Amino acid sequence: MLERRLYYHVDWAMLAGIFALCAIGLAQIYSATGGFTRIYYTQIYGILFGVFAMAICLSVDYRSLADKSHWIYLGILLLLMYVLFFGVVRGGSRRWIDLGVVNLQPSEFAKAALALVLAKFFGESRRGAITREDLAIAAAIAAVPLILIARQPDLGTAVTLIPVVFAIAYVAGMSMRIVGILALVGVLVAPVAWKFALKDYQRERISTFLDPAQDAKGAGYQQIQARITVGSGGLWGKGFTKGTQGQLRFLPVAHNDFIFSVLAEEQGFAGVLVTLGLYLFVILRALEAARLAKDRLGAYLVLGVLASFTFQVIYNVTMSAGLAPVKGLTLPLMSYGGSSMIATLAAFGLILNVRMRRFTN
Amino acid sequence: MAIQEDRRRITVRLTVLQVACVVVFAALGISFWLLQIVEHAKYEEMAANNHQRTLALRAPRGVLYDRNGQVLVDNRHSFTISIVREHTKDLDRTIRMLSEVAGLDVNDVHAIVAKHKSEPSYRPIVVVEDASLAQVAAITARRLDFELPDVVVEEVPTRQYPAEGIAAHLFGYVGEVNDAMVATDDSLKSGDLVGQAGIEKTYNPLLMGQDGARVVVVNSLGREISTLEEVPPTEGKRLQLTLDYDVQKAVDDGFKAAHTARLTNAGAAIVLDPNTGEVLAYASEPAFDPNTFAAGIDRATWVSLTTDDQHPLNDRAIQGRYSPGSTFKMAVAMAALEEGIITPDFQVHCGGSANFYGRSFRCWKPGGHGTISLRRAIEQSCDVYFYTIGNMLGVDKIHKWATLLGLGVKSGIDMPNEAVGLVPSTEWKLEKMHEKWYAGETISVAIGQGQVSVTPVSMAVYAATLANGGTRVTPHLLKAVDDGHGWKPVAAPAPQSKVELHPEKLQAIRDGLWGVVNGGGTGNRARVQGYDVSGKTGTAQVISNAGRVAAARSGKDLRDNGWFVFFAPRDKPEVAGVVFLEHGVHGPNAARVARHIVATFFAKKEGRPLPPPPTPADMQFDFSDPYGLGHMPGAPPPEEAVNDTH
Repeated sequence: MLERRLYYHVDWAMLAGIFALCAIGLAQIYSATGGFTRIYYTQIYGILFGVFAMAICLSVDYRSLADKSHWIYLGILLLLMYVLFFGVVRGGSRRWIDLGVVNLQPSEFAKAALALVLAKFFGESRRGAITREDLAIAAAIAAVPLILIARQPDLGTAVTLIPVVFAIAYVAGMSMRIVGILALVGVLVAPVAWKFALKDYQRERISTFLDPAQDAKGAGYQQIQARITVGSGGLWGKGFTKGTQGQLRFLPVAHNDFIFSVLAEEQGFAGVLVTLGLYLFVILRALEAARLAKDRLGAYLVLGVLASFTFQVIYNVTMSAGLAPVKGLTLPLMSYGGSSMIATLAAFGLILNVRMRRFTN
Repeated sequence: MAIQEDRRRITVRLTVLQVACVVVFAALGISFWLLQIVEHAKYEEMAANNHQRTLALRAPRGVLYDRNGQVLVDNRHSFTISIVREHTKDLDRTIRMLSEVAGLDVNDVHAIVAKHKSEPSYRPIVVVEDASLAQVAAITARRLDFELPDVVVEEVPTRQYPAEGIAAHLFGYVGEVNDAMVATDDSLKSGDLVGQAGIEKTYNPLLMGQDGARVVVVNSLGREISTLEEVPPTEGKRLQLTLDYDVQKAVDDGFKAAHTARLTNAGAAIVLDPNTGEVLAYASEPAFDPNTFAAGIDRATWVSLTTDDQHPLNDRAIQGRYSPGSTFKMAVAMAALEEGIITPDFQVHCGGSANFYGRSFRCWKPGGHGTISLRRAIEQSCDVYFYTIGNMLGVDKIHKWATLLGLGVKSGIDMPNEAVGLVPSTEWKLEKMHEKWYAGETISVAIGQGQVSVTPVSMAVYAATLANGGTRVTPHLLKAVDDGHGWKPVAAPAPQSKVELHPEKLQAIRDGLWGVVNGGGTGNRARVQGYDVSGKTGTAQVISNAGRVAAARSGKDLRDNGWFVFFAPRDKPEVAGVVFLEHGVHGPNAARVARHIVATFFAKKEGRPLPPPPTPADMQFDFSDPYGLGHMPGAPPPEEAVNDTH
């Protein structure tokens, strides 16, 4: 299946960047949780399974995967519906399927599945530019999993599906007029959504973000603590495992949503620059893969996968610095979380897949 | 074509995305630069405030010893229970729970917390001072259960004074420093305990140690994780007082006997070394228990102390002003002798009363003493004799010599808020009342009545000056200081004034005083075999006899005040002092207390067993007022004169 010559076209540089980020994340999880804990080992298993998933996504030609993408899409929808009824409840939301030893979070896999199915949809389009009907169909395809995920409720993950649609549609030739109109609609809809679509705690988070001091002990607490954590890091940081904010639990879920804050505290601005540089490098390498893709399908697939990844990285890093409302969005490749790690590495398998097969027929 | 166009469009739009990513990441980088480099100092401080607590370690105050090294005032460990609001989510819940666990009134705790509301939230608000072990145990258990994570129990040193309020006014008490003091003194900070009265106040700078500090790391639950650094507190300097515990105890036992005999529970006593001014004993009754202040006095106790009719917080020894009565007569005699107006052999005929300026002044003894010389006049306390020589002297010479002997001026004792007595003079009257002095007024002054008022401490100095031959020593309490490098003696303060009294003239007065105690005088109850105790009783009216009748129904205690000033032995005095019994009826009761003091002093000095304390039965229970009546012009004669010198 994996031909020998393909092996030479694997993007080893991007892979190195990805694993460097995984290693940094692992180190910060070690620091934030206080050593070789169960969480630390779970993360290692996550990485190992992720590499396995990546290898699978790498070995099967993306075109044959795309051909079966509707089945993958349907499968994910079924899993999401199963979750809604039989999922494991934690922290007020029903997101996980209990597999006995591990819990699986299907929503993490929905992103790649959506990228696949949309890439196929737009890639097969024979028209030069995409029409409004195309957009409507694409929006509908994205809306079904989005609503299912939002119902869990997991608005953060649900929102990461939107960039997938936009990125693919944009590169697929969505007219600039529609881009403008959508931007305008977004601005107009926001207040309505504020009033009707958001739950109280979500509204509170956003209003707290605008003025954290109004609720320094409640919702604003995490945001203020995030800024203190990052700001107190300075240029060189407080040293590995020497961070006070993370170590003494002033910052909640330091190994998860706020792993980047802990990194910033312990490794300082220097560590932040290195890590941000690695992320940018990986993203630019992936965009390069899209540019080199043999066909539109490949380019769209890369972009779709990359879009949710990039969105999530940027949002999480911004939030880690206390510059965005606190939302349960993890930092891909670094945050603790098995499903996220496996899904992310599998998605990068698809990107490598496209680049690797740029010369094949 | 279409495919190539497609390609180009994809390439262009990918480039746009590329640029967008770079821009966004650059913006992120700049944001982190702003937070981590530009605003680093601010956030670093906030992070430090988050996880570091500086806990004050209260320094113990210096221990007080008596002149023989016996501990008088020490420190004990006590526990305080405080609320640290910093990580409190629901203050009401914490207060409710704490009140329940520690058995406190919720409203009281609310009031305490409200009082400190404006302070920084990391500063503990002390809710319970000197907590009981049961309270400490209950709180600690809840803390371990994380039910009361914002309540802390701290061990602090607390002042411990002798039981039963011995020398309470001398030691004074401590209390939290007030804001005005913090503002004026850089060495003080809010929450410090400082001396508020007595020695604690006078020597507060020595007694107050240097508080230490412990910087600890706490986690987000407020639990201590580790100690970053610890500066141990420095104990205050240890002070050795001039006080002799056994003599002090003797004074206390004397007052106790007077109290048990229902004679009086009020008064004062001061015992000095007449040659140095060292205070050997110092008492003011009724006393209070300084221990109730040591751990923060509660409202009820404070109110009961301040509203008590007897004013237990007043230090009668240095703040009470009383008419000296007959004890003033030595000053008049000394003045007459030193001014050359009389010799010791000068005689006066006492026929029970005498006329001055058209008015009749009575002697206390109906029928009079007959012809009497100075020694006998002192011994018998003959009023006519002193009317006569007082009239010869004039008030200003009396004023001069009374002042030289220590009356009507401050003694300079190292205690706060000493009051000053009054020996009138023509100048004083002109200045204060804008009136001329009438010669007739001098007659009352000559027997220590009229406007003359003295504080007990000035009477002690008076006794000491007569004892040492004219040096007005400064009574003082500090003998030595240990600043951690061994005891260093403190030099006695210079005398307030010094006059060379002619020995033969002084001897006449001393002989008279000896006679009071050892001859046929009124002070024979102070007699201690072999020690030539010399002294003078005094009985001073609280109110004129006319007023007494009018005020009899008021329920106020109108019994006379009793004085006894003394020194011993007569010719080489080693101890001098005064005993004052407020409403103690008359001097001989005070003399009985003085006897116990003198006997104890010499027994201790010579290593003999200390004498047993006086019993209530030793105290005379006599309302007949033998020496108080007849002194005031126009007063009715006494119904009977009881001479207790038999």
